[in-house]
Amino acid sequence: MGAGAMAEATVSQQPRASAGGIAVLGTAQVAWRNLWRNPRRTWLMAGGIGFAAWMLIISMSLQGGTFTLMIDNGARMMVGHVQVQHPDYEDNPRLENVLDDAPALRARIETLPGVASAALRGQATALVSTDERSFAAQVMGVEIGREAEWSRVPLSVRDGRYLAGSGEAFIGSVLARNLGVSVGDELVLLGTAKEGGVAALASDVVGIFETGMVGIDRSLVQIALPEFREAWNLAPGEAHTLVVVTDRVQESLDLAERVWRTSGDWKTLNWKELMPDAEQFIALKLGGTWLFFTVISVIVIFSVVNAFMMTIFERTQEFGMLKAIGMRPGRILFGLQVEAAWLWALGMAIALAVCTAMILPLGTWGMPLPMDADELLAAMHMPDRLYPEFDSAAAWVSGIALFVGTQLALLVPSLRLWRLRCVEALRVQE
Amino acid sequence: MNNDAVAVCSGVTRTYQEDSVPVHALRGVDFTFSRGDFVSLTGPSGSGKSTLLNILGGLDRPDSGTVSVDGVALNDLNETQLSDLRLAKMGFVFQSYNLIPVLSAQENVEFIMQLQGVAPAERAERAVATLAALDMADLAHRRPGELSGGQQQRVAIARAIVTDPVLLLADEPSANLDSATTEDLLRLLRRLNEERGVSVLTATHDPMVMKYAHRRVNLRDGAIVEDSAADGV
Amino acid sequence: MVLPLKLLFQLSVRNIFRHKRRNGMLLAAIVVAVGAVVCTSSLIRGFQYDMADAAVANLTGHVKILAPGYLDDPNIGKSFELAETWRPDVADEELAGWAARVRVPAVIMSERGTRGVQFVGIDPAQEHISFIGSVAVEGEHLADASDGRILVGRALAEQLETGAGRRLVIITQGHDGLNRESGFRIAGLYDAEGTGLEKMFVFTGVDTLQKMVGADVYTEISIRLRRDPVLFQLKASLVEFFTGLDVLNWQELEPQAAAMFVFADSAFFIWYFIMMGALVFGLVNTLVTSVMERVRELGMLRALGMRSRGVVAQVVLESSVLMLIGVAIGIATGWLAVLSMGDGIDLTQWAEGIEAFGMRGKLVPVPLADDIVLIGLMSVVLGVVASLYPALRIVRIKPLEALRR
Repeated sequence: MGAGAMAEATVSQQPRASAGGIAVLGTAQVAWRNLWRNPRRTWLMAGGIGFAAWMLIISMSLQGGTFTLMIDNGARMMVGHVQVQHPDYEDNPRLENVLDDAPALRARIETLPGVASAALRGQATALVSTDERSFAAQVMGVEIGREAEWSRVPLSVRDGRYLAGSGEAFIGSVLARNLGVSVGDELVLLGTAKEGGVAALASDVVGIFETGMVGIDRSLVQIALPEFREAWNLAPGEAHTLVVVTDRVQESLDLAERVWRTSGDWKTLNWKELMPDAEQFIALKLGGTWLFFTVISVIVIFSVVNAFMMTIFERTQEFGMLKAIGMRPGRILFGLQVEAAWLWALGMAIALAVCTAMILPLGTWGMPLPMDADELLAAMHMPDRLYPEFDSAAAWVSGIALFVGTQLALLVPSLRLWRLRCVEALRVQE
Repeated sequence: MNNDAVAVCSGVTRTYQEDSVPVHALRGVDFTFSRGDFVSLTGPSGSGKSTLLNILGGLDRPDSGTVSVDGVALNDLNETQLSDLRLAKMGFVFQSYNLIPVLSAQENVEFIMQLQGVAPAERAERAVATLAALDMADLAHRRPGELSGGQQQRVAIARAIVTDPVLLLADEPSANLDSATTEDLLRLLRRLNEERGVSVLTATHDPMVMKYAHRRVNLRDGAIVEDSAADGV
Repeated sequence: MVLPLKLLFQLSVRNIFRHKRRNGMLLAAIVVAVGAVVCTSSLIRGFQYDMADAAVANLTGHVKILAPGYLDDPNIGKSFELAETWRPDVADEELAGWAARVRVPAVIMSERGTRGVQFVGIDPAQEHISFIGSVAVEGEHLADASDGRILVGRALAEQLETGAGRRLVIITQGHDGLNRESGFRIAGLYDAEGTGLEKMFVFTGVDTLQKMVGADVYTEISIRLRRDPVLFQLKASLVEFFTGLDVLNWQELEPQAAAMFVFADSAFFIWYFIMMGALVFGLVNTLVTSVMERVRELGMLRALGMRSRGVVAQVVLESSVLMLIGVAIGIATGWLAVLSMGDGIDLTQWAEGIEAFGMRGKLVPVPLADDIVLIGLMSVVLGVVASLYPALRIVRIKPLEALRR
């Protein structure tokens, strides 16, 4: 190639389209080698990036599993994943606010995909008495067979057995203790029936349950739904709530949507509305974790800015030479950007490796919770052992955030490349 | 004006502020550099020879006067255009070699062609050929840290000439070399000048370098005091 | 050899200023870390105090005297008599107040509904120690211990569809074991922070309730102190006095809140160590770089006769000075952030979630001097520890070798 021809073609612009792809590949390689000119710094910075990502991924992975379990445990304790009610019942749980034609509604909902079980209930507050003592309690009329399919209450039998039919009562352990009753004793339930009459019912205690949730153990009495309707003056097709349970917890909000479309004018409540305390608890915990991650990322990114400042300072002469032989600052910056990308990739690789190493064994054997407060855990529907699942969303988000962060971190000291004057830069260290 | 002029500067002045004291590095220099020339700029430290070299190389700008290289007026170019001009038309050899430490000798040579957008196969071929011409074929895969000073300077020269520059600029090329190596280096530059017609401009106060040049331009206090043909060895 | 500390100090300050931008970045990182920790620690303390306060104000008090078995089976049979002249044996300046109450489970009925509640007989004059002494009341508060009307929570009144001036029927068990049923007029509706309390408690005069259950007895005495530390001493004297009764402190009465209190303590340290963990990477990097840049210089100092100890001291001092500056600015920043939160962060949108933690609607940061001093000290110690690695590294290089570089 003659010098003259070359000169004419290249004075005003650099042709690079011809070998662009190859050039980038070469850049990646050069950047990788540059990274290892100062291995200690590279490890420290990758360690910092990895630390930030690790913090987010591991805490989200630990929590994510907890939250799903919390929701499911809470739902299966009693309230279900989705409920259908009279539009006014939630704010004003009066006996009159019933679902009419409830069995037909239940039949329609049972055919929806994702529904594992659907059960009707009647609910009322009543005075529960023995010969000597009286306490107020929540009386719940249940469809025995359906309730037994999923609810934790029937599974938490401490004495006796679950309901089998009419004339029987299944009561919480604290209530039983307060009333001084045991299996076989008789209870009288007394309350105000629908449309103002007196509801009165005598039942034998066939079983006592202990769920560990004091609120339920203290106040719940279950009886058969037909008997409840009769005593509280509900029509045969009437119920207060339709409780829907799914085996696919993650999709329960979609299910609530489908139930809502199926149930006409009735009100549909999803798990967030049924367990607002759990929902807010989760929101608060997640908010805290994100805030935490943000602060840590800022600290790490400052350190990365700092490290790039040193790198660029140390390579001033080299950049001067590159500019002298005709490399544009943008091109030099691109090389540094690829270095930053490598650094990031190394950090993420560390984070992912450590997370995997922690989550795999914990996911198999579980991690006992350090808190010594069983009641607290029970109140939040928390399990006593965590089975973390790798949270890929956290990995993605932390990855993207830190990538953007490291790239921005590089830009701060890189402005120097434009101000750099070759003649002076080359003179450094000579 | 000579049609064969590669670089022309006329009335070039350059003043630096050093600790707020003005230093008159160049005070109106007129200089024409012909194709195929081998010129050594000489003079004591601070005479302005490096400044003139930098201005001709497009690394520095004059305060007044005009500079043109290969028919292009440097005064009219912006930073980016200057940068492209350097890439296309200049070859630089620096006092301290300034090789990229993470690249092997061959990669250092290829690197500049990569910037020019030369296809990979051609790049490799030209780099290998150039290194071979400089007796560096065996060391092509070593990194700068594994090469001696003279070897590094050969790689730097290979990098400078592989693009067939109009002008090869060398600022104190022998400063870090022993005399035997310097002799080798100069013979090499001379050969390139004669065989390939590379125009060479060095700034030096090494008498040995002067000995190899065709033309000696002597500066003192920012002005040319002597411009004479030298014998050449 | 006495270390020329003043000289070393000057050297370290000048070295820090040698790279203003780089050290400025590191300072920024330290400031963010320390500021965030100061902020969080104040919020965590605020959370702890609010929670403990809520637990104590929630009719619990710091110490409570109960009949044995009352906690498991709260009924009027588990009660005790109290001499008219009894006063807690606590110095006046330590005692916030005390209240003797009758508290029994009851059923409350309107024509619209039936609910289970805790029916509490109080002497309003004594109740400045609990939440009911300071609630906003629509209608009238109870007048005195013999007031025969009731005070009902707003949330409960809404459920029962009733209001001030209306009547409700309450059924509870008498001292003889038989059920008693009485009608009561509502004096007023109270607003507590959080609907849980409003649904749980119905109040009347303590004399009225004693008459209803047919015995001149109490089920609990709640004592509130001005400060926590005298609690153990008080508890001991109460145990001696009330032989045969249970004397329990709030941690035993509210184990959830107590567990949360302890948990919040450790949360503070977890926060601190993770923040500082993030900081260490940048700190060590900066220190190593600034030391390695000066290998020649430090080698020269040693060649001139400075001992290794002096070199180590110089590096450690440099790190400590940097850390001290960062900690000072960080604490100031954190403090400003705490001040800017003013009288608290409104958490009412998460009201039910935080109620589960035993908290109320507002999180007021409580910056404790002890915490801040601890944060500062630990950070400077961290600065010293982080500088040991580069310092020892440089000492391992022999002076001649260092000069040759």
